[in-house]
Amino acid sequence: MRFSIYRFNPEQDSAPYMQHYDIALQPEDRMLLDALVRIKAADDSLTFRRSCREGVCGSDAMNINGRNGLACVTRIVELKEPVELRPLPSFPVIRDLVVDMTQFFKQYHSIRPYLINDEAAPQKERLQSPEDREKLDGLYECILCACCTSQCPSSWWNPDRFVGPAGLLQAYRFIIDSRDRATQERLEDLNDPYRLFRCRSIMNCTEVCPRGLSPSRAIEKIRLMMVKHSL
Amino acid sequence: MRGTLAGLRAWLLQRLTAVYMIGFIVFLLAHFATDAPQSYELWRAWMMRPEVSIATFVFFTALLMHAWVGIRDVVLDYLQPMIVRVPVLAIAGFSLLAMETWIARMLLVS
Repeated sequence: MRFSIYRFNPEQDSAPYMQHYDIALQPEDRMLLDALVRIKAADDSLTFRRSCREGVCGSDAMNINGRNGLACVTRIVELKEPVELRPLPSFPVIRDLVVDMTQFFKQYHSIRPYLINDEAAPQKERLQSPEDREKLDGLYECILCACCTSQCPSSWWNPDRFVGPAGLLQAYRFIIDSRDRATQERLEDLNDPYRLFRCRSIMNCTEVCPRGLSPSRAIEKIRLMMVKHSL
Repeated sequence: MRGTLAGLRAWLLQRLTAVYMIGFIVFLLAHFATDAPQSYELWRAWMMRPEVSIATFVFFTALLMHAWVGIRDVVLDYLQPMIVRVPVLAIAGFSLLAMETWIARMLLVS
Protein backbone atom coordinates (compact mmCIF):
# COMPACT_ATOMS: atom_id res chain seq x y z
CA MET A 1 0.00 0.00 0.00
CA ARG A 2 1.26 3.47 -0.87
CA PHE A 3 1.56 6.24 1.72
CA SER A 4 2.62 9.84 1.43
CA ILE A 5 3.66 11.16 4.83
CA TYR A 6 4.55 14.66 6.00
CA ARG A 7 8.10 14.72 7.28
CA PHE A 8 9.85 17.48 9.15
CA ASN A 9 12.69 17.29 11.60
CA PRO A 10 13.55 20.86 12.67
CA GLU A 11 17.04 19.77 13.69
CA GLN A 12 17.86 18.56 10.16
CA ASP A 13 15.35 19.89 7.62
CA SER A 14 15.05 23.44 6.41
CA ALA A 15 11.50 22.81 5.18
CA PRO A 16 8.87 20.08 5.47
CA TYR A 17 8.44 17.55 2.65
CA MET A 18 6.23 14.56 1.77
CA GLN A 19 7.89 11.16 1.83
CA HIS A 20 6.49 8.18 -0.06
CA TYR A 21 6.39 4.69 1.40
CA ASP A 22 5.31 1.47 -0.26
CA ILE A 23 4.53 -1.05 2.42
CA ALA A 24 3.34 -4.64 2.10
CA LEU A 25 0.57 -4.98 4.64
CA GLN A 26 -0.22 -8.22 6.44
CA PRO A 27 -3.70 -9.69 6.91
CA GLU A 28 -3.70 -8.65 10.57
CA ASP A 29 -3.11 -4.98 9.66
CA ARG A 30 -6.62 -3.59 9.83
CA MET A 31 -6.26 -0.06 11.12
CA LEU A 32 -4.13 2.81 9.87
CA LEU A 33 -2.08 2.68 13.07
CA ASP A 34 -1.07 -0.91 12.22
CA ALA A 35 0.27 0.35 8.90
CA LEU A 36 2.11 3.22 10.61
CA VAL A 37 3.74 0.82 13.04
CA ARG A 38 4.83 -1.29 10.07
CA ILE A 39 6.25 1.79 8.30
CA LYS A 40 8.11 2.72 11.47
CA ALA A 41 9.62 -0.76 11.58
CA ALA A 42 11.08 -0.02 8.14
CA ASP A 43 12.03 3.60 8.87
CA ASP A 44 12.48 4.30 12.56
CA SER A 45 13.02 8.01 11.96
CA LEU A 46 9.26 8.46 11.35
CA THR A 47 7.72 10.02 14.44
CA PHE A 48 4.12 9.89 15.62
CA ARG A 49 2.25 9.62 18.91
CA ARG A 50 0.25 6.57 19.89
CA SER A 51 -0.77 4.83 23.07
CA CYS A 52 -3.99 2.90 23.66
CA ARG A 53 -4.55 1.91 20.00
CA GLU A 54 -8.30 1.72 20.55
CA GLY A 55 -9.66 5.27 20.23
CA VAL A 56 -9.60 6.14 23.92
CA CYS A 57 -6.40 8.11 24.53
CA GLY A 58 -6.59 10.43 21.53
CA SER A 59 -2.81 10.40 20.99
CA ASP A 60 -2.72 9.44 17.32
CA ALA A 61 -4.91 12.23 15.94
CA MET A 62 -3.70 13.28 12.50
CA ASN A 63 -4.91 14.51 9.15
CA ILE A 64 -5.75 11.50 7.02
CA ASN A 65 -6.44 12.20 3.34
CA GLY A 66 -7.46 15.74 4.25
CA ARG A 67 -9.69 14.86 7.16
CA ASN A 68 -8.76 14.73 10.84
CA GLY A 69 -9.13 11.39 12.58
CA LEU A 70 -7.52 8.83 14.85
CA ALA A 71 -5.16 6.43 13.10
CA CYS A 72 -6.09 3.60 15.48
CA VAL A 73 -9.80 3.59 14.57
CA THR A 74 -9.43 4.38 10.85
CA ARG A 75 -9.88 1.24 8.77
CA ILE A 76 -7.22 0.76 6.10
CA VAL A 77 -9.66 -0.66 3.54
CA GLU A 78 -11.65 2.58 3.56
CA LEU A 79 -8.65 4.73 2.60
CA LYS A 80 -7.89 5.95 -0.90
CA GLU A 81 -4.30 5.50 -2.11
CA PRO A 82 -1.85 7.08 -1.79
CA VAL A 83 -2.84 7.66 1.81
CA GLU A 84 -1.75 11.19 2.63
CA LEU A 85 -0.89 11.71 6.28
CA ARG A 86 -0.20 15.13 7.72
CA PRO A 87 -0.01 16.55 11.26
CA LEU A 88 -3.11 18.21 12.70
CA PRO A 89 -3.70 21.40 10.65
CA SER A 90 -2.78 24.75 12.23
CA PHE A 91 -0.95 23.23 15.20
CA PRO A 92 2.81 23.92 15.41
CA VAL A 93 4.75 20.85 14.28
CA ILE A 94 7.32 19.43 16.67
CA ARG A 95 8.42 16.67 14.34
CA ASP A 96 6.72 14.70 11.54
CA LEU A 97 3.19 13.91 12.74
CA VAL A 98 3.74 15.14 16.30
CA VAL A 99 2.27 18.55 17.06
CA ASP A 100 2.54 21.00 19.93
CA MET A 101 -0.77 20.99 21.81
CA THR A 102 0.15 23.65 24.40
CA GLN A 103 -2.33 26.22 23.04
CA PHE A 104 -5.08 23.61 22.81
CA PHE A 105 -4.70 22.62 26.47
CA LYS A 106 -4.35 26.24 27.52
CA GLN A 107 -7.80 26.92 26.05
CA TYR A 108 -9.13 23.74 27.66
CA HIS A 109 -7.87 24.82 31.10
CA SER A 110 -9.32 28.30 30.61
CA ILE A 111 -12.88 26.97 30.88
CA ARG A 112 -12.05 25.54 34.34
CA PRO A 113 -12.74 21.89 33.51
CA TYR A 114 -13.71 20.77 36.99
CA LEU A 115 -16.75 21.01 39.25
CA ILE A 116 -17.02 24.28 41.17
CA ASN A 117 -19.14 23.86 44.28
CA ASP A 118 -18.41 25.66 47.54
CA GLU A 119 -21.24 24.03 49.45
CA ALA A 120 -20.22 21.77 52.31
CA ALA A 121 -19.22 18.38 50.96
CA PRO A 122 -21.66 15.60 51.84
CA GLN A 123 -20.50 12.55 53.79
CA LYS A 124 -20.24 10.32 50.72
CA GLU A 125 -20.74 12.03 47.36
CA ARG A 126 -22.74 14.69 45.54
CA LEU A 127 -25.69 12.78 44.22
CA GLN A 128 -27.29 13.33 40.84
CA SER A 129 -30.65 12.18 39.54
CA PRO A 130 -30.55 9.77 36.56
CA GLU A 131 -32.10 12.55 34.44
CA ASP A 132 -29.39 15.03 35.40
CA ARG A 133 -26.71 12.44 34.78
CA GLU A 134 -28.18 11.77 31.34
CA LYS A 135 -27.53 15.40 30.37
CA LEU A 136 -23.79 14.66 30.44
CA ASP A 137 -24.07 11.98 27.77
CA GLY A 138 -22.47 13.09 24.54
CA LEU A 139 -20.21 15.46 26.49
CA TYR A 140 -18.11 13.55 28.99
CA GLU A 141 -16.88 11.10 26.32
CA CYS A 142 -14.54 13.68 24.75
CA ILE A 143 -10.95 12.37 24.74
CA LEU A 144 -9.31 15.72 23.88
CA CYS A 145 -7.69 14.40 20.73
CA ALA A 146 -8.06 17.90 19.15
CA CYS A 147 -9.41 16.59 15.83
CA CYS A 148 -12.28 19.09 16.09
CA THR A 149 -10.32 22.18 17.13
CA SER A 150 -7.63 21.56 14.55
CA GLN A 151 -10.25 21.32 11.77
CA CYS A 152 -12.12 24.46 12.86
CA PRO A 153 -11.48 27.59 10.72
CA SER A 154 -12.47 29.87 13.61
CA SER A 155 -9.71 28.25 15.68
CA TRP A 156 -7.27 28.73 12.79
CA TRP A 157 -7.90 32.51 12.76
CA ASN A 158 -7.99 33.09 16.53
CA PRO A 159 -6.35 30.13 18.32
CA ASP A 160 -5.29 32.31 21.24
CA ARG A 161 -8.69 33.87 21.88
CA PHE A 162 -11.36 31.45 20.63
CA VAL A 163 -11.75 28.56 23.08
CA GLY A 164 -12.40 26.12 20.24
CA PRO A 165 -14.91 23.29 19.88
CA ALA A 166 -13.24 20.85 22.29
CA GLY A 167 -12.97 23.43 25.06
CA LEU A 168 -16.53 24.62 24.51
CA LEU A 169 -17.89 21.08 24.57
CA GLN A 170 -16.16 20.67 27.93
CA ALA A 171 -17.46 24.06 29.07
CA TYR A 172 -21.03 22.92 28.40
CA ARG A 173 -20.31 19.63 30.17
CA PHE A 174 -19.73 21.62 33.39
CA ILE A 175 -22.36 24.29 32.75
CA ILE A 176 -25.06 21.64 32.50
CA ASP A 177 -23.79 19.54 35.42
CA SER A 178 -26.37 19.73 38.24
CA ARG A 179 -23.58 19.52 40.84
CA ASP A 180 -21.78 22.60 39.56
CA ARG A 181 -22.62 25.97 41.15
CA ALA A 182 -20.74 28.32 38.83
CA THR A 183 -23.13 28.34 35.87
CA GLN A 184 -23.53 32.12 35.79
CA GLU A 185 -19.78 32.73 36.12
CA ARG A 186 -19.03 30.23 33.37
CA LEU A 187 -21.55 31.86 31.03
CA GLU A 188 -20.19 35.33 31.77
CA ASP A 189 -16.66 34.15 31.10
CA LEU A 190 -17.68 33.03 27.61
CA ASN A 191 -19.67 36.13 26.74
CA ASP A 192 -17.21 38.21 24.76
CA PRO A 193 -16.59 38.54 21.01
CA TYR A 194 -13.96 35.81 20.93
CA ARG A 195 -14.19 32.99 23.47
CA LEU A 196 -17.50 31.54 22.27
CA PHE A 197 -18.89 33.82 19.59
CA ARG A 198 -16.13 33.31 17.02
CA CYS A 199 -17.96 30.06 16.26
CA ARG A 200 -19.67 30.46 12.87
CA SER A 201 -21.43 27.06 13.05
CA ILE A 202 -19.28 25.67 10.24
CA MET A 203 -19.67 22.30 11.98
CA ASN A 204 -16.38 20.76 10.86
CA CYS A 205 -15.97 19.79 14.51
CA THR A 206 -19.07 17.62 14.55
CA GLU A 207 -18.19 16.22 11.14
CA VAL A 208 -14.74 14.95 12.16
CA CYS A 209 -15.17 13.98 15.83
CA PRO A 210 -13.94 10.36 16.01
CA ARG A 211 -16.17 9.79 19.04
CA GLY A 212 -19.30 10.95 17.21
CA LEU A 213 -19.83 13.90 19.57
CA SER A 214 -21.31 17.24 18.55
CA PRO A 215 -19.41 20.29 19.80
CA SER A 216 -21.53 22.53 17.56
CA ARG A 217 -24.69 21.39 19.35
CA ALA A 218 -23.05 22.07 22.72
CA ILE A 219 -22.07 25.55 21.52
CA GLU A 220 -25.64 26.21 20.41
CA LYS A 221 -26.93 25.12 23.81
CA ILE A 222 -24.51 27.45 25.59
CA ARG A 223 -25.79 30.33 23.47
CA LEU A 224 -29.40 29.49 24.28
CA MET A 225 -28.57 29.26 27.99
CA MET A 226 -26.95 32.69 27.76
CA VAL A 227 -30.13 34.07 26.20
CA LYS A 228 -32.24 32.51 28.96
CA HIS A 229 -29.97 33.78 31.72
CA SER A 230 -29.85 37.30 30.29
CA LEU A 231 -33.65 37.64 30.20
CA MET B 1 -23.45 39.46 31.41
CA ARG B 2 -20.87 41.88 30.14
CA GLY B 3 -22.25 44.89 28.29
CA THR B 4 -21.52 46.37 24.86
CA LEU B 5 -22.38 44.87 21.52
CA ALA B 6 -19.82 42.17 22.11
CA GLY B 7 -20.78 38.53 22.27
CA LEU B 8 -24.33 37.52 22.98
CA ARG B 9 -25.92 40.83 22.01
CA ALA B 10 -24.32 40.89 18.57
CA TRP B 11 -25.24 37.25 17.97
CA LEU B 12 -28.81 37.82 19.12
CA LEU B 13 -29.14 41.03 17.10
CA GLN B 14 -28.05 39.22 13.94
CA ARG B 15 -30.68 36.52 14.44
CA LEU B 16 -33.53 38.86 15.40
CA THR B 17 -32.87 41.15 12.44
CA ALA B 18 -32.79 38.09 10.16
CA VAL B 19 -36.19 36.97 11.46
CA TYR B 20 -37.67 40.43 10.87
CA MET B 21 -36.22 40.63 7.36
CA ILE B 22 -37.61 37.22 6.40
CA GLY B 23 -41.02 38.22 7.77
CA PHE B 24 -40.99 41.53 5.88
CA ILE B 25 -39.93 39.89 2.60
CA VAL B 26 -42.72 37.31 2.93
CA PHE B 27 -45.20 40.12 3.65
CA LEU B 28 -43.97 42.08 0.63
CA LEU B 29 -44.16 39.06 -1.70
CA ALA B 30 -47.62 38.19 -0.40
CA HIS B 31 -48.80 41.75 -0.97
CA PHE B 32 -47.48 41.92 -4.53
CA ALA B 33 -48.84 38.47 -5.32
CA THR B 34 -52.36 39.20 -4.07
CA ASP B 35 -52.82 42.96 -4.48
CA ALA B 36 -50.15 44.25 -6.83
CA PRO B 37 -50.35 48.03 -7.52
CA GLN B 38 -51.25 48.66 -11.14
CA SER B 39 -49.19 51.82 -11.63
CA TYR B 40 -46.16 53.63 -10.24
CA GLU B 41 -48.41 56.23 -8.55
CA LEU B 42 -50.42 53.53 -6.79
CA TRP B 43 -47.23 51.75 -5.71
CA ARG B 44 -45.78 55.02 -4.40
CA ALA B 45 -48.98 55.84 -2.52
CA TRP B 46 -48.90 52.40 -0.92
CA MET B 47 -45.26 52.76 0.03
CA MET B 48 -45.91 56.16 1.60
CA ARG B 49 -48.62 54.86 3.91
CA PRO B 50 -47.13 55.41 7.41
CA GLU B 51 -47.35 51.75 8.47
CA VAL B 52 -45.65 50.58 5.23
CA SER B 53 -42.93 53.23 5.22
CA ILE B 54 -42.14 52.61 8.91
CA ALA B 55 -42.06 48.83 8.34
CA THR B 56 -39.78 49.40 5.33
CA PHE B 57 -37.55 51.71 7.36
CA VAL B 58 -37.31 49.06 10.10
CA PHE B 59 -36.44 46.50 7.39
CA PHE B 60 -33.53 48.55 6.09
CA THR B 61 -32.39 49.37 9.62
CA ALA B 62 -32.42 45.63 10.40
CA LEU B 63 -30.50 44.98 7.17
CA LEU B 64 -27.80 47.52 8.07
CA MET B 65 -27.51 46.23 11.65
CA HIS B 66 -27.28 42.68 10.32
CA ALA B 67 -24.60 43.81 7.89
CA TRP B 68 -22.67 45.57 10.66
CA VAL B 69 -22.47 42.39 12.77
CA GLY B 70 -21.46 40.39 9.69
CA ILE B 71 -18.75 42.87 8.63
CA ARG B 72 -17.47 43.07 12.21
CA ASP B 73 -17.25 39.25 12.33
CA VAL B 74 -15.25 39.12 9.11
CA VAL B 75 -12.93 41.87 10.36
CA LEU B 76 -12.40 40.15 13.73
CA ASP B 77 -11.56 36.91 11.94
CA TYR B 78 -9.32 38.09 9.15
CA LEU B 79 -7.91 41.50 10.03
CA GLN B 80 -5.73 40.99 13.07
CA PRO B 81 -3.50 44.12 13.14
CA MET B 82 -5.30 46.96 14.91
CA ILE B 83 -3.80 49.48 12.50
CA VAL B 84 -5.87 47.88 9.72
CA ARG B 85 -8.84 46.77 11.77
CA VAL B 86 -9.81 50.12 13.29
CA PRO B 87 -9.93 52.12 10.01
CA VAL B 88 -11.85 49.33 8.23
CA LEU B 89 -14.41 49.17 11.03
CA ALA B 90 -14.67 52.96 11.10
CA ILE B 91 -15.22 53.18 7.32
CA ALA B 92 -17.81 50.38 7.46
CA GLY B 93 -19.57 51.99 10.42
CA PHE B 94 -19.74 55.46 8.85
CA SER B 95 -20.89 54.02 5.52
CA LEU B 96 -23.71 52.10 7.17
CA LEU B 97 -24.70 55.17 9.20
CA ALA B 98 -24.75 57.29 6.03
CA MET B 99 -27.00 54.72 4.37
CA GLU B 100 -29.30 54.72 7.38
CA THR B 101 -29.60 58.52 7.22
CA TRP B 102 -30.31 58.38 3.50
CA ILE B 103 -33.01 55.72 3.98
CA ALA B 104 -34.59 57.72 6.83
CA ARG B 105 -34.74 60.80 4.62
CA MET B 106 -36.35 58.85 1.78
CA LEU B 107 -38.90 56.95 3.81
CA LEU B 108 -39.69 59.16 6.79
CA VAL B 109 -38.97 62.76 5.85
CA SER B 110 -40.27 63.08 2.30
